[in-house]
Amino acid sequence: MTDLDQRLRALPLTRRVFLQGSSMAGVAAFLAACGGGSTPSPTGQASVTPSEGATAEPTEAVIEGPLNFANWPAYMDLNADETAWPTIDDFEATHGIEVNYVEEIEANEDFYATIAPQLGAGLDSGWDLIVLTDYMAARVVRAGWTEEISAEGTPTAHANVRDELRGLDWDPDMKFHFPWQSGATGVGYNVVSTGRDLTKVEDLFDPAFKGKATMLSGYSDTFSLVGLMLKAKGEIEHVPAEMTFEEAQVVHDYIKPYVDDGHIRAFTGNEYLQDFGSGDTWVAFVWSGDLASSGGPDDRFVFPEEGSIIWTDNMLIPKGAQHKAAAEAMIDFVYDVENAARLALYIYYISPVKGVGDEIAKTDPELGDNPLLFPPAEIAAKMYPQPALSDEEDVKWADLSADLEGA
Amino acid sequence: MRLFRSRAAIPYLLMAPGLLWLLLFFIVPNVQMLVFSLSEGTLRTGFTTPPDVWDVENYTGSISKFSGNFSNSIVYGGLATILCFLIGYPLAYAIAFKGGRWKNLLLFMVIAPFFTSFLIRTISWKIILGNDGPVLAVVRDFLHLVPANFSIIGSPLAVVGGLTYQFLPFMVLPLYVSIEKVDRRLIEAAQDLYAGPWRRGGMIAGAIFGAFALVALQVGLGYGAFIGEDAAPAAVAAAALVGAIGGGLVGAFLISQSFIRVTFPLSLPGVFAASILTFIPAIGDYVNPQLLGSPKTQMVGNVIQGRFLDQNDYPIAAALAFLLMAGILLAIFLYAKLLGTEELTGGTA
Repeated sequence: MTDLDQRLRALPLTRRVFLQGSSMAGVAAFLAACGGGSTPSPTGQASVTPSEGATAEPTEAVIEGPLNFANWPAYMDLNADETAWPTIDDFEATHGIEVNYVEEIEANEDFYATIAPQLGAGLDSGWDLIVLTDYMAARVVRAGWTEEISAEGTPTAHANVRDELRGLDWDPDMKFHFPWQSGATGVGYNVVSTGRDLTKVEDLFDPAFKGKATMLSGYSDTFSLVGLMLKAKGEIEHVPAEMTFEEAQVVHDYIKPYVDDGHIRAFTGNEYLQDFGSGDTWVAFVWSGDLASSGGPDDRFVFPEEGSIIWTDNMLIPKGAQHKAAAEAMIDFVYDVENAARLALYIYYISPVKGVGDEIAKTDPELGDNPLLFPPAEIAAKMYPQPALSDEEDVKWADLSADLEGA
Repeated sequence: MRLFRSRAAIPYLLMAPGLLWLLLFFIVPNVQMLVFSLSEGTLRTGFTTPPDVWDVENYTGSISKFSGNFSNSIVYGGLATILCFLIGYPLAYAIAFKGGRWKNLLLFMVIAPFFTSFLIRTISWKIILGNDGPVLAVVRDFLHLVPANFSIIGSPLAVVGGLTYQFLPFMVLPLYVSIEKVDRRLIEAAQDLYAGPWRRGGMIAGAIFGAFALVALQVGLGYGAFIGEDAAPAAVAAAALVGAIGGGLVGAFLISQSFIRVTFPLSLPGVFAASILTFIPAIGDYVNPQLLGSPKTQMVGNVIQGRFLDQNDYPIAAALAFLLMAGILLAIFLYAKLLGTEELTGGTA
């Protein structure tokens, strides 16, 4: 366990307790953040770096708030008593606008469905900045539902984005998206409840965990992980990105009996955090940083032996956004190395910003080895991207996962 | 003459806002849904709508594909209605007849949960029934009746329990109104005519009803299925026995002849209204199975929600919504026939 782990766990109220209380947690935190908007955060990290000042100045006149920012839970750093988001507070103080930060996105498909009708009709979705995973971001960009991110408004981001994240086929020149964080999907478990350390995807199917196992809704993560497991057993041939529909059917048929006998209790989005908190879930497919940032002391994440799934969540400005300049300012803000380091230290995901490793090594050398932030070579070698399907294929795969989910 | 004419127009004027509301927010959306239900495609691939295509397959295919969800809806909705009735009738009766000066307070307490959000109330149940909750603390940790990985969340019991809790006020309020209206002098008259305790008849009727209710509950919940055993005949017999003894005792000692001959028949319009008001929202609910259930307990509402919001498959979702609506109308029609229409409209009350 690293120093930071211990420091985080020594906090008086863990994020987990906060989350499990009720769904009002998000609202409370949001209200707290709004209230604290005018006062700079007391964390001592509020220093504004020169590069930000430089970018803020020419655009400052046109930046108008409030910035309506929809993001996933456990994706923003919290202060010690969990009443404010220091990064958001600093941004508000720097640019003098309010940020309406809402932890609104629990699953790509669900959120897509809430904005698609408006965007499809050419209307404003109400959001200025949203965060979607690769395949969904690509879908939204291809549909022409995003505003172009102006290069003048985002010089820091253009300079600092990691090279391997550039040149994607759906947006090669970073015109429509900037990565928020990358992460992995693997197996999360509570070591006290399971009574042993888990190492494989297959461990999730251990009869001892009947009724206490959950998977992620949709096919992107769940079918990929079980696919990797079946590939390791020699039952299918391809890695997730090349998996055929027939192989997806094999994966479905493998999972189905476990759903029927109640072994797999639910298919969830980010709400698995609450279920780990209450002990209703012992083992689940989870996203890499969540349990470290927001779970309990006995909750662990493991990159499974069969391999893990790598993805990137991307910031997009939906077409017709009312506060585009503010969204660009936010993109640029989180690409500042210091801000990015603070974010990464709290949320435990893989930062898309160059130089974050060095920045973290300066403050805490040990964290430079944290596999969640910096996956070591042997783990990175077994990270596979999610399937990228055509619209027709997507319908067929979605039918398979819907059948598992019972609805 | 002019005056007469304008008088004749008054009822229509009074109805106008309501009719306009219905037109805008019921008829128009329903026509649109009907069009969708016969279309092809998804939000992303684009829709082909009538008259280019009349896709009746949406209906026929959905019935077989989602038959499990339909039966979940009917069984859980029906069980919740029966449980609401068993809990709600004695409650409404007690408030109406024995409430005295506490009547208003008691009624307020029945509707008090409505002051909290539906979602928060369901999530509270998740906490109560959850792994850390008080129920398992007693059953699992104190009495050691169930294994360590036993979970109430995810079982049909949790879903039916949630539905029963959520819709109980819909049952109690109409029952209260109709029981309250019963003329007390009729009960006195019945007593004068030697209507006493309902000993033997009550015992038989109570035993039959109790056995039926408990067997329905036992089979419907698939009790034990979640921990790996299927409902065995022995368990059904045990449920029938327990139900019969319980029902028999209640029938023999708590129910009088004046109740069975006067009060209950006069409250039937309330029973009808209350069970309809409970059954319709219960059968269409999707929040309880989503939060308290498992993939095995998803109801039609979940499929409709998933098809609309996750898969953007509007045609199937619309077809399912129409099937559900048709099913509910059919059920109400049969129910009305069963109880007799005059009673329902309060014609004889």
